[in-house]
Amino acid sequence: MSIEIKGVNKKFGDFVALDDVNVSLPTGQLTALLGPSGGGKSTLLRIIAGLDSADTGTISIEGTNATELPPQKRNVGFVFQHYAVFKHMTVAKNVAFGLEIRKRPKAEVAEKVDELLRLVHLSQFAHRLPSQLSGGQRQRMALARALAVEPTVLLLDEPFGALDAKVRKELRDWLRRLHDEVHVTTVFVTHDQEEAMEVADEIVVINEGRVEQVGTPDQLYDEPANDFVMGFLGEITTLNGVMLRPHDVHISLTPQLPGAAEGTISRLLRVGFEVRATVLTDDGDEVTVVLTRTHARQLGLETGVRVWVTAASGALTMPSLSVAR
Amino acid sequence: MASRGSTAVANQSSVVKWVLRFLVIGYLLMLVAWPTAYVVKHTFADGLTGIQDALADPDVVHALKLTAQIAVIAVIINTVFGVGMSLLLVRKTFIGKRALSVLIDLPLSVSPVVVGLALVLVYNGRFGWFGPWLEDHGIQVIFAKPGMIMATCFVILPLVIREVVPVLEELGDDQEQAARSLGANARQTFMRITLPGIKWAVVYGVVLSLARALGEFGAVKVVAGNVGGETQVATVLVQQKYQNFQQETAYSVAFMLVFMAVLCLVVVALLRPKEQES
Repeated sequence: MSIEIKGVNKKFGDFVALDDVNVSLPTGQLTALLGPSGGGKSTLLRIIAGLDSADTGTISIEGTNATELPPQKRNVGFVFQHYAVFKHMTVAKNVAFGLEIRKRPKAEVAEKVDELLRLVHLSQFAHRLPSQLSGGQRQRMALARALAVEPTVLLLDEPFGALDAKVRKELRDWLRRLHDEVHVTTVFVTHDQEEAMEVADEIVVINEGRVEQVGTPDQLYDEPANDFVMGFLGEITTLNGVMLRPHDVHISLTPQLPGAAEGTISRLLRVGFEVRATVLTDDGDEVTVVLTRTHARQLGLETGVRVWVTAASGALTMPSLSVAR
Repeated sequence: MASRGSTAVANQSSVVKWVLRFLVIGYLLMLVAWPTAYVVKHTFADGLTGIQDALADPDVVHALKLTAQIAVIAVIINTVFGVGMSLLLVRKTFIGKRALSVLIDLPLSVSPVVVGLALVLVYNGRFGWFGPWLEDHGIQVIFAKPGMIMATCFVILPLVIREVVPVLEELGDDQEQAARSLGANARQTFMRITLPGIKWAVVYGVVLSLARALGEFGAVKVVAGNVGGETQVATVLVQQKYQNFQQETAYSVAFMLVFMAVLCLVVVALLRPKEQES
């Protein structure tokens, strides 16, 4: 286990940012800290890096107790949401910073910088200033800068949060490929469950300062530990006293499956290839159903049509009033 | 600020534009340019003889040297403390921070004469609060250089801080944190990241304090002995020569003070664009 976090508490005034967090993050993996904004995930990352200190608890990195170590002695690479580029230095100088601080020979620094800039596809920008780069390029530069010191762990704080959707998607794929190449233990913070599911080997779900669940993306999606995790990883709707995903609701114009609830379509909304139907059941439930445009056309769905809804076979369901913890 | 003003005005009618221009230029002319030009005119009324005569007077040479000495020492002290205090005010939280921030502006609002008097009350060798003890240990503050440097430091205290604080605030501490995470210690972070970021604010602060220190009159006059050739600075000398009907000398020294101040501003104006290109 690369990073061991034990009994970490952190308060900002009266606000409890972290509440007895215990988690171990495995070596060589790409782990996502996932949760809503203000849930404490960034604070945890900053405590791992030594940029904030925990009120109580210990952090050990690769077997070394790092709790009392200042950031510069932890050998971690940190990538900030807003890049934190050194504005007065060229791209090459930015990347070289950590190596120059470590007083490495000039030739070695030049070689390493060259190699890293090639890795992040910024070789032709080596002598530009960061202000001449786009957001995505700046963040790649920041990544190269963090990787230059060969950190034991690479920490990324909402690394793609300040970028537009398209660049974000590109960088996300690129980060995954980069990790497969370099294999450095990586932890990144995100509030975007799609980003976490797509990129991470393992996800730690954090909410209100507590770890809700740790697992692979599939485990989290298929076996959520509680209704918060289920709700955070994807949309949910309630039908016949159980929670399930809207695309797992079977909808038909005749009562085909036993136990189906009868209702009326109150609203239809089309978003691209998807149709979202709101069904008011006779029992008073408001059920959201997601189906493809083609499927909705085949059924001839329209507002006011009588339908029968039930959980599709094989659907993940969870009793709606459970607090599974 | 001039460019912002002109873009706002550009939308208005040209009559208003011209009236505003006339007002601003007229105001500056009457208040600054004309009187200063008169000093220059009087200095060079007989060609360079005025300046040559003035520089032949040993009291003048001594006063100028003393002024330069005190100004440079005070500016160095003020720069070190100014940058340090700015870092403290922006990067740290502590009890009494706002009080400190207000206190720093005190020299701007208090008359320099009061500053001088206050220093005399504390450091005076005979009845001062702290002075006799210092005098027993061989340090004379009042009527000597230490007092004059202290008075100058007091007066220029806010100038570096007020330049540096907003720049530090805008800079944020992201870059410093990044440097720390890359292995830089506090000193390396300051030298390689913070200082380059606030460099121009510091330069401006230094130039402003230098100009202010060269021209300081009130506070220094109270704490200095004002003995010609010993503890008399250039500004006090100008006043004394003027009152003694040696106007030629007074104008010449006044011109030299103005020239130094303008030189400071020109040097900065020349340095700055070069820096931005690189």
